[in-house]
Amino acid sequence: MEAAIPEPPPSSAARASGLRKVYGEGDAAVEALRGIDIEFVGREFTAIMGPSGSGKSTLLHCLAGLDSPTTGSVWIGDVDLTTLNEKQLTALRRDKVGFVFQAYNLVPTLTAAENITLPLDIAGRGVDRAWYDQVVDTIGLRDRLGHRPSELSGGQQQRVAGARALVSRPEIVFADEPTGNLDSRSGAELLGFLREAVSTYDQTILMVTHDANAASYADRVVFLADGRVVDEMRGPTVDGVLDRLKSLES
Amino acid sequence: MWRATFKALLANKLRLVLTALSVVLGVGFVAGTYVLTDTMNAAFEELFDQTTGAADVVARSSTAFDASLTEGSGGGGSEERQPFPEGVLDDVATLPDVDVATGDVQGYAQMVDPRTDEVIGGVGPPTIGTNWSELADQILDIRAGSPPAGPDDVVVDAATARTAELSVGDRIRILFQGPPREFTVSGIAGFGEADNLAGATLAVFDLETAQEVLEKEGVYDLINVVGRDGVAASELRASVAAVLPDGMEAVTSTTVADEASDTLKEGLGFFQTALLVFALIALFVGSFIIFNTFSIIVAQRTRELALLRALGASRRQVIVSVVTEACVVGLIASVVGIVVGIGIAIGLQGLLGLFNIDLPSTSIQLLPRTIIVSLVLGALVTVAASILPARRAGTVAPIQALREAEDAPPTRALVGRRLAVAVLVTGVGVAAILYGLFGAESNEATLVGLGAAVTFIGVAMLSPLAARPVAGGLGAPLRRLSIQGRLGRENAMRSPKRTASTATALMIGLGLVSMVAILAASLKASFDAALTETLKADYTLSTSSFTTFSPDVGERVAALPEVGVASAFRQDGFRVGDASSFLTAVDPATVEDVATMEVSEGSVSELGEEDTVLVHREVAEERGWSLGDEVPARFASSGDMPLTIVGIYDENRLVGDYVVSLDTYEGVFTEQLDAFVLVTGAEGVPLPEVADSIRAAVAEFPNVQVQDQAAFREQQAGFIDQLLALVTALLLMAIVIALFGIVNTLGLSIYERTRELGLLRAVGMSRRQVKRMIRWESVIIAVFGAVVGIAIGVLFGWALQQALRNQGVTEFVLPVGQLVVYLVLAGLAGVLAAIWPARRAAKLDVLEAISYE
Repeated sequence: MEAAIPEPPPSSAARASGLRKVYGEGDAAVEALRGIDIEFVGREFTAIMGPSGSGKSTLLHCLAGLDSPTTGSVWIGDVDLTTLNEKQLTALRRDKVGFVFQAYNLVPTLTAAENITLPLDIAGRGVDRAWYDQVVDTIGLRDRLGHRPSELSGGQQQRVAGARALVSRPEIVFADEPTGNLDSRSGAELLGFLREAVSTYDQTILMVTHDANAASYADRVVFLADGRVVDEMRGPTVDGVLDRLKSLES
Repeated sequence: MWRATFKALLANKLRLVLTALSVVLGVGFVAGTYVLTDTMNAAFEELFDQTTGAADVVARSSTAFDASLTEGSGGGGSEERQPFPEGVLDDVATLPDVDVATGDVQGYAQMVDPRTDEVIGGVGPPTIGTNWSELADQILDIRAGSPPAGPDDVVVDAATARTAELSVGDRIRILFQGPPREFTVSGIAGFGEADNLAGATLAVFDLETAQEVLEKEGVYDLINVVGRDGVAASELRASVAAVLPDGMEAVTSTTVADEASDTLKEGLGFFQTALLVFALIALFVGSFIIFNTFSIIVAQRTRELALLRALGASRRQVIVSVVTEACVVGLIASVVGIVVGIGIAIGLQGLLGLFNIDLPSTSIQLLPRTIIVSLVLGALVTVAASILPARRAGTVAPIQALREAEDAPPTRALVGRRLAVAVLVTGVGVAAILYGLFGAESNEATLVGLGAAVTFIGVAMLSPLAARPVAGGLGAPLRRLSIQGRLGRENAMRSPKRTASTATALMIGLGLVSMVAILAASLKASFDAALTETLKADYTLSTSSFTTFSPDVGERVAALPEVGVASAFRQDGFRVGDASSFLTAVDPATVEDVATMEVSEGSVSELGEEDTVLVHREVAEERGWSLGDEVPARFASSGDMPLTIVGIYDENRLVGDYVVSLDTYEGVFTEQLDAFVLVTGAEGVPLPEVADSIRAAVAEFPNVQVQDQAAFREQQAGFIDQLLALVTALLLMAIVIALFGIVNTLGLSIYERTRELGLLRAVGMSRRQVKRMIRWESVIIAVFGAVVGIAIGVLFGWALQQALRNQGVTEFVLPVGQLVVYLVLAGLAGVLAAIWPARRAAKLDVLEAISYE
């Protein structure tokens, strides 16, 4: 549909405006996000970084419709999430969003293949075979598809989770510390896969990480501190990211 | 994290409540049974003291049966005593020690409700006719009207008056051994506070009338004696006994009251045992739920237990802490159970009132025995069920505190020694059942029951083996249906042990229910076969509850021109040597026109000779009797009376093992009432016409039903269905407990799978889909339990039918439709059990769940 238009202008895959998130009430209130205005362009790989407590996970949860903002708005594509009810949010997560969590990404009773098609099965939609094959080949686990998660290594599990996030062709994939539990080699494999998904297959990925090396795979890095966007960087390098982080922490 | 901890605590509380509930229900059933029967016992004892208290001593005929031997199938006749001549009263009344002596008679007198023309009472408690006397005046409280004063008067008990809305001056028809008669209600009487005596109906006439209508002219059944002031009961008894002729005895009224309450206690004891069996089944089922819950708790607390171990707690301490928890849960649940039991007892007592069994208001009896048994049983069951999980808790290694929690405790299928133990236990159980049913001298009910319990335990141990394939197979159609169905199936399969032990409770319940259904169906079919093969009559005359009725009925019908033959049958208990048995009396001239006996040696006609008997072939072979031998028969009122064997027959389904002529019967029993009359139409008369004329002839006897074979059969099937419904209702408690078990396990599993549920919700599973997934899991577990249960039920039912073949259950019928209905109901029950866990799973906050550890 959109693909029919030649060379479309970079569209906004996700957007937040005036986003505030407060936990608790009165004296105990903690302001996790203090007014965030940010836009994530399609077909881009963005990393969100910041010291712990900076609000990066909260931002991701709000953008993904897992948490609701206290004030402000959040859009996925052209849908304002704050206008959606629980049922619509569930459908949105199912159809427009992909997830890769740090751990426990897979349903232990389902095979790798079944885990990959889980969102489509939940939606009762058919699988786009060509796209599925492409995704599966990219994660390079074709021979492990019949295995259950307990028979896969941590890296393999995360790659299956990545495939699952992509298989429904979501508007955007949210990855929350996807390499947090992996050794560096497995981490590199996963990041390479995510990178390829964006570069080769035009997907959009938003990743929260505290690992400068992981961030260096992204097109753009957004730095958060104390619930505010404090900086961003395009074409990041490991050293560049590390320097910026150091300056944030000091 | 704190929130999660709090939630876990809340889940714990709920989990303990659910576990306790299974104990509460079981113990409540036990306590309720005791409280109810104790209360009834106390009430009746009070009543008997009150009714026998008026006289000091009672004179009556001796019985040939000693009180110690009351087992077996002997009916009312075994307590029957012969009437004695009136003259005896004078000898007693003129004794210097005697103040008052009254001669009294008793017999069958059934009243007919004048509004509906239906008989009153007769199902269970007797319908008694007796005479008014000076002493009756002290026992009975006339609440309205006056004592009977002439041949037209009757006093009725207050309960009957209430049922039939009788008031003084109303006319009422009463059925006797002889022809029915109409009376005027002259008074209405109660027994102190009670409206009737243990459910019996009472019609009181003046003495002369009573003797006439009860066919006791010139005789008495007993003499009630009151001594002069200052004469001790034992003294009085001795002086009365001294003037009594041979064959009579004098006993104190205390003895009479004791006898009455002993008889009642025996009946109540049977009732109590029957209820206790169902209560124990409920507890047994509950024990599996306790076992399961504690197993899951221990698995979930692995890290906590490991931490305790790491901090220096010994293996023993860990085990003791788990068992202590179980003990506390058991005791608290038992206390609640006792309270629930009292409630159950009060409810059931109210139910008795509906059946017109009037109890004098006695306070609820909560004996120390009830409390002790309930507490011990509740605690014991809980502790016993927690021992294995506790031992497993003891094996948790300290290092496990440091390890990552695993997704789900991996459970390995049965292997090696465990499998061998499971097979052995099952084998022992089955062997006990088979020995109890076929090997032992008689059917050993206790052995069979224990065998069944052991078999269930064995099957429960084996069933994890079946859980995966069966749950997988059952869920196979779901795979294609939807992802929820498929996940539900996978969840039901993921922990075969848990699925199996959850399903076990339901398996036991359904096993027993289907066994009973199979037995009922087999009984019906056997009865049908017996009727078809033994009955040659066109019509059967009997009462709806198989009580006896006046021989006048048969005589009237026999005299009809439309009737070919009307052959009467009487039945009562007697003894052969020391063993109780049943005796059937037939009319030798006509019996072969209406029934098949297959006499293979001798003939029925030879029964015309005095004191002769026909014997069933099996009995004859067992005892080594042949034609001409004597059966050492003994009767309650007439004593020893050897009967000569004049024939041996093969078909005993209608007439039982011993057959005599009506003439012989009249010689040995006092009461002469027919059990049923079989009638054939006269040749050339269309059957409807025959039926009409019979009905007209017996119109005065509303208790007698005129039925063709089909109607008779249908009525019998109705009885069996009623019994089936009753037993099923009693087993329902076990099934309800089993459902709590499913609720409990699902609740715990969901708690365990918080993370996974969060993931599913995060990737877009809707609340409704989550609910559906849990529901499917529940349904698969329930249906798995039902399938195994029904399979066991079929085997048990078949074994039982085989064991009862000689008792007339000749056919084996599998009520397939009914079993399928049970299966469907089990599935629906699974849906029901999933409601709460599903709601809980759907309510999980996604964000909290995915960040939950």
